[in-house]
Amino acid sequence: MPTNDELIACWQDEEAPLLPLLHALHDRDGFLNEQDIRAVAEGLNIPIAEVFGTVTFYHHFAREAPGQSAPRVCTGPVCRLLGSPDLVKALDGATPMACAGRCDDAVPVLQGHEIRVGQTVDTLEARPSPLPPPNPGGIEECVFAHIREPGRATLDGYQRTGGYEALKQAREMSREDLLALITDSQLAGRGGAGFPTGKKWEMVEQADGEPKSIVCNADEGEPGCFKDRAILDYEPHAVIEGMAIAAHATGATKGFIYLRYEYPDSFKIVERAMAESAELIGDSFQLYLRRGGGAYICGEEGSLLNSLEGKHPFPRNRPPYPVTHGYDDLPTVVNNVETLASVPPIVAKGPEWYRGLGLGEHAGTKLVSVSGDIRRPGNFEVPFGLPLLTLLNDWCGGAEDGRGIQAVTMAGLSGGFLAGDDLDVTLDEPSIKAKGSFLGAAGIMVFDDTRDMVEVAHCAMEFFAEESCGKCFPCRIGTQRLTERLNGAAGPDDEAAWLQEVRDIGQVMMATSACGLGIAAPNITESLVKYFPEQVTAHLKTAHQSGIKQ
Amino acid sequence: MIAEAKPEATATMTLDGVDLAFTEGETIYDVATRANKDVPTLCYDPRLEAFGACRLCVVEVEGIRNPVASCTTPATAGMNVRTATKTIEKHRRTLLELVASENRENEVDELRGLASQELKTLLDRYEVRNGRFAGCQSGTTNTTDDNPFILRDYDLCISCFRCVRVCAEQEGDHAITMMNRGFEKQITTEFNGILKDSACTFCGQCVQTCPTGALGDIKAMRAESLPGKVEKTRTVCPYCGVGCSVDLLTKEDRLVGVQPAMDGPANEGALCIKGQFAFDFVQHDDRLKMPLVRGEDGELHEVDWDTALDLAADGFKKVLERHGRHAICGVASGRAPHEAAYTMQKFIRAGFGTNQIDNCSRA
Repeated sequence: MPTNDELIACWQDEEAPLLPLLHALHDRDGFLNEQDIRAVAEGLNIPIAEVFGTVTFYHHFAREAPGQSAPRVCTGPVCRLLGSPDLVKALDGATPMACAGRCDDAVPVLQGHEIRVGQTVDTLEARPSPLPPPNPGGIEECVFAHIREPGRATLDGYQRTGGYEALKQAREMSREDLLALITDSQLAGRGGAGFPTGKKWEMVEQADGEPKSIVCNADEGEPGCFKDRAILDYEPHAVIEGMAIAAHATGATKGFIYLRYEYPDSFKIVERAMAESAELIGDSFQLYLRRGGGAYICGEEGSLLNSLEGKHPFPRNRPPYPVTHGYDDLPTVVNNVETLASVPPIVAKGPEWYRGLGLGEHAGTKLVSVSGDIRRPGNFEVPFGLPLLTLLNDWCGGAEDGRGIQAVTMAGLSGGFLAGDDLDVTLDEPSIKAKGSFLGAAGIMVFDDTRDMVEVAHCAMEFFAEESCGKCFPCRIGTQRLTERLNGAAGPDDEAAWLQEVRDIGQVMMATSACGLGIAAPNITESLVKYFPEQVTAHLKTAHQSGIKQ
Repeated sequence: MIAEAKPEATATMTLDGVDLAFTEGETIYDVATRANKDVPTLCYDPRLEAFGACRLCVVEVEGIRNPVASCTTPATAGMNVRTATKTIEKHRRTLLELVASENRENEVDELRGLASQELKTLLDRYEVRNGRFAGCQSGTTNTTDDNPFILRDYDLCISCFRCVRVCAEQEGDHAITMMNRGFEKQITTEFNGILKDSACTFCGQCVQTCPTGALGDIKAMRAESLPGKVEKTRTVCPYCGVGCSVDLLTKEDRLVGVQPAMDGPANEGALCIKGQFAFDFVQHDDRLKMPLVRGEDGELHEVDWDTALDLAADGFKKVLERHGRHAICGVASGRAPHEAAYTMQKFIRAGFGTNQIDNCSRA
């Protein structure tokens, strides 16, 4: 087994060394003890207190045995519907973990570097993540067009249909023409924020300071979102090619893929794809793969960059933005997996083609993850503008027999619920925003009419409370207080006073929180109160009668 | 201290309807403060990099949907800012209600620390002691750290991280850190231990910047129950040559504590463990109040001043006659007042005609 000194020597002169070094020690021992943390601090010249605080920030860094060898069971919203809390009890030494992005093939159990799935102890097995089903609408796709071809994750498989031709094409173009092409395609950030990709690249290209970086945000932590997993597992070369094209367009010479901890299979697949493509990409663009430590907030770009740099993963104050002050305070593109994977087909087939994939005036496509109380869950590439009910009922088969869809979440959990007549909406940002929600990263979790929506909302808020980084006051305190009001642990008995408190907390969070987590979390309570007032009334009565308040 | 030349104002913005000039690099908060706007803050300390945690300083900027934290947002030309609209003030009130709900108590004695009344003052200003948003408490008081200087009463901690930042940015110790996430966030040291085992030098800066008294000056707190008001007297710390400005805290005729002066040109609110905490000698029982002379029996005996001074003068004279003036050397004590130090050098220089005078504090 390698010693601390050997591992430190191996990483200390590398790019973004803290996370991989911590992982190396954690993988070796199964946990990080005091000596390990002291050695890392000394080796990387970071204060001990800082390394210690940073280690405690992440879910998956254990500091004592059994640590990494103990099973962690997903208790995300969908897995809970399938009784995953019982699996936690049934599995020896198991602890719960936040949504691990396997909602279409639940319940994932993470142990060491292995993911097994199943709903009972006896049925747990390691198997590849589900492939996206063939497009049920028979509609032309961009990202998923070739994903179902066998061997697609290998270089041979990828090149069979013209893989890396787009990079060749792009490298023959001037930066200016390439940027214009991307801008013309109207591709926008598919992680949820929707910032125009061409404009972002252009800002990085024009920003002063070198070396520039391309960061692929593969920290897919939003509950109910598992689309990036499908791309990483079955189409990793598209992401790499997209990053190399972005590098050519912006003059970047470094690239990072920041992958969530809970995708160990994807890590191996991407690692292999990077090795296979290294020669083809060439020395002008160095690519690094980094694994997170388990923290939803690291999907926020400022937190991600801090995490990558080995700092406490708080979001950064903006401005300045990553386009001028990103990795190492230098110009950086931070793009989502799906955004980058869309780039090669856009370059190969042209911006008009891509724009034309959308319905009506909408340009392009969006990957949507559907899960929960639905017959055919999975990842679907939908044209922007597709009616939500077409997706739910025609593509996914609707709810089980005899049941109706009571509510769906939007943007994973961040968009809150849509229900009733508001389900009659098309899948595009303006339409969904008009209903008080947003499409975001497009995770849709379905809850049928047997579900207790206050309990669903409580679990959602509990997730946000656990994942709040703890920096800004409205989010740190607000998510906690909303959770307590949803589970009846604290708060007024009187309904009017309860509603007033919940609304006031929600408003201050939405208006003053420092990042998207705190701004979006109250969408849960706002939409709960809007669509399910009678369930709220019943909840308050029960909480009052049972006296569960502390 | 060498003052930097202030660059000329380069642009104008509008703040609450008034056009104001600002220089590049200034934040909205800087401009507002200059315009005497009383924008509330809890995580702000002018010496530290703006952090943007408490969100109390949010202001409305025309054209931007959500209010922005004025402490972290640079002023830009043509910006139209409103610092205290009804909506903004309502958000501030709600934020303060939330903050008040997470603590064991919000009233602490001013002896806990220089900034300890900040939260209390804001709660009074916004009249938010109404018990709204009840729920569990954040932060857990450390009861195992028995150091004699710094109370770690985290039941009152609001996670503004001023202590963490002052320790890193001002003192350079990096002794304090934050563990966990969200509501579980806890200020602590490496390995969640005690200060003595950390990189802490007990400079006390964390205590003095804490806006709630969660970190308390244990030495000063001993006088909480003493009668009388706390009075402050500005002076310079005598312990070394840096010249840190301090305020001596007294209650009636008793020295009860020391606080650093934020406007001290040499220290800007910083002190070291000696300047901050080592003042017990002043009123210590062991302190000599009468001169002692060693008798034939080899023991020290109390004598009156004239006897002692005569004896000392004889001794000095003998040395002077036998070995000359440069055989005399004086070393003054860092625990003596500045006036005594001055008198001492005068005595050695003018009295004996030698420059051989030093002070134990000459650091």
